Amino acid sequence: MSDIIAGVDIGNSTTEVCVGEFGSDGKLNFLTSASCRTTGTKGTLPNVHGVKTALKKAMSRIGKDTNEISLIRLNEAAPVIGDTAMETLTETIITDSSMIGHNPSTPAGVGQAVGEIISIEHLERGVSGTPYIVAASDVYAYEQVAARVNAQSDRLNIVGIILQADEAVLVENRLKKQIPIIDEVARIDKLPDGVLAAVEVAFPGQTVRMLSNPYGIATLLKLNAEETRVITPIAKSLIGKRSAVVLKTPGGNVRENVLPAGEIYVQADHPFSINLDEGAEKIMQKLSEADTITDITGQPDTNVGHMFSRIRHGMNEVDQSQDADIRITDILAVDTLAPVQISGALAGETCLEKAVGIAAMVKTQKLPMQEIAERLQRELGTKVEVAGVEAVMASLGAITTPGTKLPLAILDMGGGSTDAAVISEDGQVVMTHQAGAGELVSMLIETELGLGDRHMAEQIKKYPLAKVESLFHMRMENGQMTFVNDSIDPRFYGRVVLLTENGLIRMEQDIPMEKILQVRREAKRKVFVTNAFRALRKVAPGHDLKNISNVVLVGGSAQDFEIPEMLMEEFADYRIVCGRGNIRGIEGPRNAVATGLVLSYLGEKQ
Amino acid sequence: MIIKKPAIFIYTYHPDGAILREICAGIEEEGVFYEISEQTVSDVDELSWLAANDSMLGSGVGVSGQRAALQMRGIEKGHNLEAYVRPTKAECRKLGANSARAIKKQPFK
Repeated sequence: MSDIIAGVDIGNSTTEVCVGEFGSDGKLNFLTSASCRTTGTKGTLPNVHGVKTALKKAMSRIGKDTNEISLIRLNEAAPVIGDTAMETLTETIITDSSMIGHNPSTPAGVGQAVGEIISIEHLERGVSGTPYIVAASDVYAYEQVAARVNAQSDRLNIVGIILQADEAVLVENRLKKQIPIIDEVARIDKLPDGVLAAVEVAFPGQTVRMLSNPYGIATLLKLNAEETRVITPIAKSLIGKRSAVVLKTPGGNVRENVLPAGEIYVQADHPFSINLDEGAEKIMQKLSEADTITDITGQPDTNVGHMFSRIRHGMNEVDQSQDADIRITDILAVDTLAPVQISGALAGETCLEKAVGIAAMVKTQKLPMQEIAERLQRELGTKVEVAGVEAVMASLGAITTPGTKLPLAILDMGGGSTDAAVISEDGQVVMTHQAGAGELVSMLIETELGLGDRHMAEQIKKYPLAKVESLFHMRMENGQMTFVNDSIDPRFYGRVVLLTENGLIRMEQDIPMEKILQVRREAKRKVFVTNAFRALRKVAPGHDLKNISNVVLVGGSAQDFEIPEMLMEEFADYRIVCGRGNIRGIEGPRNAVATGLVLSYLGEKQ
Repeated sequence: MIIKKPAIFIYTYHPDGAILREICAGIEEEGVFYEISEQTVSDVDELSWLAANDSMLGSGVGVSGQRAALQMRGIEKGHNLEAYVRPTKAECRKLGANSARAIKKQPFK
């Protein structure tokens, strides 16, 4: 009579199962494995659904039914949950619409010009001698605009044109005189007559020079020192644009607000408080000096205060016991820049604002795993037990990687947290849980690229990029060219795409491939390299990395196509052998905990 | 030796004047040259396919009456990238712009 044992690991983002068979001779034989998304927050009753799906998936692979399983072993999940939040620290507000930083695909003419705004309807009222910039709404076709401007060009000094429609080149081709023309300005109605404006169209292949320089704006619009100081955020936000307009409105004002971000209070062996404004680097440095942290809170009624209470609230749902003792025991702060739409902008301009992304580790006494086990037992009619500490199980699973031996360090990089454990030769395990992993990376990618779409950010994190350069070839992110036999769907033409196993995914936003690449790599580096060092230093004997010789990377993020290589490079300096785990020689870095749960059954039986 | 100017070819068969004009405007705004020539076939798929294959740039537009289609060299006849019956002004501009973007290797509008 043989026993079929299933190990189930409920993680922050995925649920994994491993099924093994113990023959009558006591020998273990692994049969199958599977994984699926965790349903609900880790450690809550909704998880049951995901566990059942994963079990079914695994058993169907070997043509068996879930009721043939004789025992299910759930991991005693560490009662920690990772959560992320983002706060912007600065905010640019423009009142009375004093600028347009604009990047239409086809402006026309080149150079810069200063003049009074005059709408095309009122062109006849213009007086000679004054330089004018004509504003034309899209009710005027390009021929009409060109004809009117040409008709007045001898009498009036017209130095530039701002168009609402996408017709700059069409107008320019019909003008007698070459002047800078900017098009696709949506809110043309907001340009008041008689106001002094400066327009600039960059030379081909260059970006605006005068209007992205505060002194350039001051020169063109004759500003004094005080006004120049005020206009600096405008200049900053115009950097990199191919064309731009700046208006000098009397009541107009631009401010760069520094938002009251608030203080973080850390209760630890060496307690301290620090303002979020100080930036991620300072926060992390202070944190590393604090030793054992018992709780972290934020200043009430500030952004950071709300952020922490939101995270805490999320954990409340998991542990609903009256005297729930919920503490935030670790945070990872990361500096980032977020493109935020400027309030009061004319053509949807954005400005890069300083922001801090934070991942927090929330800890409670114990997750209600027993309840999940009971529910599962009732629904499946199979015996379910909660067994083993997560880190120990992960270590057990990790040792099945060919080429490993004790002592061994594992780095479990999941969705919500980065965990590290060191197993000594006599089986002693030291472990730690650190805030910040895959989900923080997704959040950073989402914010820095201004995607507003977490799913897309996750795809960017997972898959390499390519640019479709013709219907028959594309350029990979590493410069390599790939040719295809059948023509690529024209929907992808000229776009940046993600290469997934199920074909291409199109990037909707017009962001250069190099920029996406850089943001993606930076995000991974900021989170995983920082955290790997932080975590391993905590568990290393004598807190010295030199005392670790082998590191096995496991967990979902170890599957990533570039994170393990990044870590390998970093660890090479410490003479540490580091690599992606290969559980049971076949699973890759996944399934370590589930495998450990099946393996440990053997030990418990003896 | 026959020298062809690098241009988008527009092959027409009794085209609607307004449609043709707006398509040309779309191309012009993107800063690419085009050449119009009247043909003897009336099938818009055939027109756009021929235009794309004859154009040195590999991008062609067919306009037959009130039908318009965009084609690129290397794509099967009838599989137009974009095709309209009685297009609006905005659709004509878009078709023109895309025929130019096909050459500039920019994403379509």
